[in-house]
Amino acid sequence: MEKKYTKKTLLTEMIMIFIAVAFMIPLYYLVVSTFKDQQQILENPLALPSSLSLTNYMKALQTMDYWKNFGNSLLITSVSVLIVVIFGSMAAYSFSRHKTKISKFTGFLFLLGFMVPAQTTMLPLFTVMKGLHLINTYMGMILLHSNQCVFAFMLYRGFIRTIPLELEEAARIDGCNMWQSFWKVTFPLLQPITITIVVFNVMWIWNDFMLTYLFLNSSSKATLIMQVFNGVGTFSNDWSMMMSALVLALLPMVIFYLVMQKQIVEGVAAGAVKG
Amino acid sequence: MSAKRYFKKELPWVLFLVPALLVYSIVVIIPTISTLVYSFTDYNGFSSAFHLVGGKNYLQVFQNKDAVNSITNSLIYGITVPVLVTALAIPLALVLNSNLKTRNVLRAVFFFPSVISTLFLGYIWKFILSSSSTGLINSLRIHAGKEILLLLADQKMAMPLLILITVWASVGWHACIYIANLQTISPDYYEAATLDGASKWQQFKSITLPMLTPAMSSSILLLLTGNLKAYDLPYALTSGGPGTATTMITQTIIEEGVTSNRVGYASAMSFLFLIVIAVLTISVNTFIARREKKLYE
Repeated sequence: MEKKYTKKTLLTEMIMIFIAVAFMIPLYYLVVSTFKDQQQILENPLALPSSLSLTNYMKALQTMDYWKNFGNSLLITSVSVLIVVIFGSMAAYSFSRHKTKISKFTGFLFLLGFMVPAQTTMLPLFTVMKGLHLINTYMGMILLHSNQCVFAFMLYRGFIRTIPLELEEAARIDGCNMWQSFWKVTFPLLQPITITIVVFNVMWIWNDFMLTYLFLNSSSKATLIMQVFNGVGTFSNDWSMMMSALVLALLPMVIFYLVMQKQIVEGVAAGAVKG
Repeated sequence: MSAKRYFKKELPWVLFLVPALLVYSIVVIIPTISTLVYSFTDYNGFSSAFHLVGGKNYLQVFQNKDAVNSITNSLIYGITVPVLVTALAIPLALVLNSNLKTRNVLRAVFFFPSVISTLFLGYIWKFILSSSSTGLINSLRIHAGKEILLLLADQKMAMPLLILITVWASVGWHACIYIANLQTISPDYYEAATLDGASKWQQFKSITLPMLTPAMSSSILLLLTGNLKAYDLPYALTSGGPGTATTMITQTIIEEGVTSNRVGYASAMSFLFLIVIAVLTISVNTFIARREKKLYE
């Protein structure tokens, strides 16, 4: 039911565009500042830059070791997200398709843990990770982020229920074992919710600060976010360079957002309302 | 069925649960139990000789002004943000779900801050709200011939500013949740209501709002748990200052436990905090679930 486009709608449209412009001012300010020097930022903070000089970006790139940090972020995020999807979907499959005392208890445990904020377990977690020799390692970070599989479990659980059993049964009759029937038949059918889970987790894991701050403080393994954080002290006297470093570090997620925009906005919906 | 056959049948199902359970045990279960145990000891994080001290740590939390202050801050922040975001996200969703020509662009704009790391959002706003003359607001004020403001360095302003920024950052994301829900409401309800002569406001109150309960339950739950345990944004923006005006419980836990090595005491604080979050989320959840049940009756 599409309503008519009236004068009132036009007015709403104008007001919303105005609000949206105001809403984006902080980000506009950030981006234009990267093309100015310190003096220009102070004199005309909101004016468009007089030239598109990339000096600040060059300086920031030199101090940051950008590609190394980018690679670290990419490695940690991609492996973690892969594990989240595999472990989460497998557990949800077992839970939804085969109700036993064990699976029910596991589901209950996962639900409880959803409420435990990571900060409250931070200190013993540090001891555990130290015992496993995983402090300051990629492996350790991946293990920590893999715990997001509990979140994936919750979303998959709701979704698997909507998938008919017949296909799996047919596969089993044809001689597939559980492993094969899950990956060849069921998992491909979970694609919509898998996309949602991947999108959410890429953003969360890539942008994570607290876990990385506590468990990965070696600068050679730092993620992009950490590198900017480490650089704050060095940058603090040169705002235009700091802002350029920020833009460089948030660029990958912005590109990810622009490419995946439709899935992201729909994913929020699918995850929250149906899950 | 013989035990052996039963075992053979059950094994694959259990094996499918094991990987997730293993990760979860290491990252959540073991540390949670340890937190509880440590909270009754004088453990300092490294020495293996520690003693049971009973409820002393818990008493200390209540007697320590800083701890009480940071718990209060977290509660103020963690409750105000969900209220404001919900109050703004629902009207925003209504507008973005109407027949505006630019609605897709507008949705993208309002969602945008959610893509950026909250740490960075804190830094960006720090450039804008800095108390020095170099901050955006203050340099604009200088140009206009006005005196500079303290902004983030002002005891009274810091918390409201922090809350506003968080609302700015999360309102678009939550509006998207409501938009998805709005699209599931059948237009028939509104047609019937219009025929009965119900005003727009009456329609909103008795159709839209109750029908939005499913979205409300997930949105509020995410907001509540997310903001009670907020750390990145306050830390980047104010580092807890000025003084202790925006120090959150999470920051205090990390400082006490990691920097000051008072693991026992910090664990007691953690556990109290966990109970507060659990009580709040469970009660809000029950309240919404009851509303949801009413909806389908």
